[in-house]
Amino acid sequence: MIYTRKSPALLIIGLVMLTWGWLNASGSLDGMQAWLQRSAHAEHVKAQAKFDAELRAAAARAAAEGVPAPAMKMPPSRFDEAKAGQARLSWIFGGLAVACGLLILLRTPGRGHVDYYLSVVPGMAWMLLIAFVVRWLLDPVFANWGRDAQATLGFNFATIFNFNYVVLGILAGIVIVNVFGIPAWAANGVRTARLFLKTGVILLGTLYSATELLQLGGLSVAMIGAFVLGSVWIVLALGRRLRTDNSMTAVLSAGMGVCGVSATVAVAPVVNAKPSEIAYTIGTILMWGVGGMFLFPTVGHLLGMGPVQFGAWAGTGILNSAQVAGAALAFDPNGIETLKVAEIFNITRVLFLPLIALWLAAWYVRHEAGAARVDLGHVLFAKFPVFVLGFLFMFLLSSLGAFTPSGHYQGKYFSADEVKREKRLDDRDAAALAGALSQLESPAGRAALQAFLAARSIHVGQHHAEPEDVSTALSGLIAERQMRTRAQDGLLAAVARLPGLDAEARAAIEKAGKAAWHASKTIGAFRDWLAWLFAFGLIGLGMQITGKAMRQAGGVPLFIGGVVGTLKAIGSLLVVLLFVREFV
Amino acid sequence: MSAASPRGLAPATLLLCHHGTRGAAAAADLAVAIALPGLTTVVHCLVVPDLWGGMQGDDWLNDATTRDAFGAYVEKMLAEEARAVSRAIEAQCHARGVDYRAALRFGEPAAVALAVAAEVGADLCVIGPPRRRGEAGLRSRMRLERLLRDLPCPLLVASRRSR
Repeated sequence: MIYTRKSPALLIIGLVMLTWGWLNASGSLDGMQAWLQRSAHAEHVKAQAKFDAELRAAAARAAAEGVPAPAMKMPPSRFDEAKAGQARLSWIFGGLAVACGLLILLRTPGRGHVDYYLSVVPGMAWMLLIAFVVRWLLDPVFANWGRDAQATLGFNFATIFNFNYVVLGILAGIVIVNVFGIPAWAANGVRTARLFLKTGVILLGTLYSATELLQLGGLSVAMIGAFVLGSVWIVLALGRRLRTDNSMTAVLSAGMGVCGVSATVAVAPVVNAKPSEIAYTIGTILMWGVGGMFLFPTVGHLLGMGPVQFGAWAGTGILNSAQVAGAALAFDPNGIETLKVAEIFNITRVLFLPLIALWLAAWYVRHEAGAARVDLGHVLFAKFPVFVLGFLFMFLLSSLGAFTPSGHYQGKYFSADEVKREKRLDDRDAAALAGALSQLESPAGRAALQAFLAARSIHVGQHHAEPEDVSTALSGLIAERQMRTRAQDGLLAAVARLPGLDAEARAAIEKAGKAAWHASKTIGAFRDWLAWLFAFGLIGLGMQITGKAMRQAGGVPLFIGGVVGTLKAIGSLLVVLLFVREFV
Repeated sequence: MSAASPRGLAPATLLLCHHGTRGAAAAADLAVAIALPGLTTVVHCLVVPDLWGGMQGDDWLNDATTRDAFGAYVEKMLAEEARAVSRAIEAQCHARGVDYRAALRFGEPAAVALAVAAEVGADLCVIGPPRRRGEAGLRSRMRLERLLRDLPCPLLVASRRSR
């Protein structure tokens, strides 16, 4: 079979990307970019004015001293970097698209690996182009409209209704597939969206600390355990009461209970679900999932939820796993914290899936006369989510220091050896610290410090911190002009919050702490890729949500789904608001 | 064959659009009743609606093996359902001495009916009444306007009572 479709589409996409890159690099779009990126442009204008003034002053000084004017270059502003970033990505991917597009047009198609892999490129480039349009154009346009309409409406509709690049990307995917359909040349590439989402989850593994993973893991196992088992049980009970077929009840309980469409796909063959039952279940789940993805973030903002609370709620209450990721990013499009929490919940759900499949298989065999026995071992093995191992592997590599020194948190790590000379404390800082030290060693200072350390329960290693520990840490900082150990940094960072401490000394401690903490470029790059991988993957998944499938929701399955979906959403919201606190 | 031709009511090729719904059963009864033994061949057009194309939804957690197993399972179940429907109509046709042929296609129902009608040179097309709102069954309506506009032969719609 030949997979690649001969079409100029990829070449055209590549040329559009290259043109965008060239227009940005040449400054032809500066007027439009200034409107799109208002705040970055405002900063840019201020920085430019400041730089011009410095340049004039330097030139005047040089003229007065009779020396040549110094060569000065304005450092790139956020606005410049954003434009350069757009140009760079457009050139890289536009160039690749043009090369592959020409290959598709000029090559004589033949069977084999080259044909197969080439066939996915047009669809991937198409999704990427949509991601560019959404992220670089639609997202800032809606943000501007939201701000402009705020005075009239009294609220920012773009923030409240989460019209950011994630939601707009999914919407773009849904609109495209339902209005125009997916073109044949793009079909293979669009299917790769799943691969990119899984890659995103695997990379996400690099951003957790062991403590965080343990805390989130415990919370997710407790919540998912209670709500998954609870909703599966309620659907089974309601199904028996309303006398729906056993296969219908079983497949619906998997979909409503575990991870939506994915659970339905995994469980349907195990419980011999009929096609119409599969259609009712998937229709019901998609309707609830898409609804939840828009509703949850709005409610989360209105209730002032934090990343852990919202991630836990979305991860438990939204029926479908794809929409959990969508809702988490819709709630917090510029950070990764909510996504981190929500994905742990998604991973826990998918780990529950083989167990639920086993339970339902056993339930079905017990209740359905003449049902064939199921190989439970095979079910458990076949449904195990292998990509979770990739996530754990990346977490392990990251924790062991493969990408950046171990002990880092989200790519930030402590290193005394990497403190730059110019970042070390100067004489003025040292004098301020010496003053603070003598103040803390005075009887009144010592008493205040002791009370502060006890009240805040500040530790050094395993023991409670004492004023002597603070004296040693401060003396060390004054002598070395930099932090030497993480314990010293932690203790002094806590002491910096002591009421009445000299402001200059506090600033010096903060300066020394900042100089000793470094950001890993590798983990930073992973973070950037993550946002793109999820945006790209969710656009592709949006293209899998068809109105025709959603329209199949109806009848008793919709009633049962409605009852259980509502109970799960409200129940998990109450649990989260009452018992879950922020710790990420 | 033009709509004015008498062959419409003595069809050599009668296209029966039927995919197992209650309305379609009325269409099958009507088609078999109209068919002339020794003259008419009933071409049974079974449509697997294109809504199944989107039936893996946005699943992304399963691996390709699980999705392939699901796809193969759904295909097998749909084929079994189609075979059962086909066997029932075939038995009805043979009981009246009418020839029978099945045409199983995937796609949008009206588009498939038009394509099969053109392919087999249908003299008459028989369909069931549209489903009433709220009636059980998959939501995959035949787009009647498109069928009426482009069908190359007369169209007969069975009444709900003819069953």
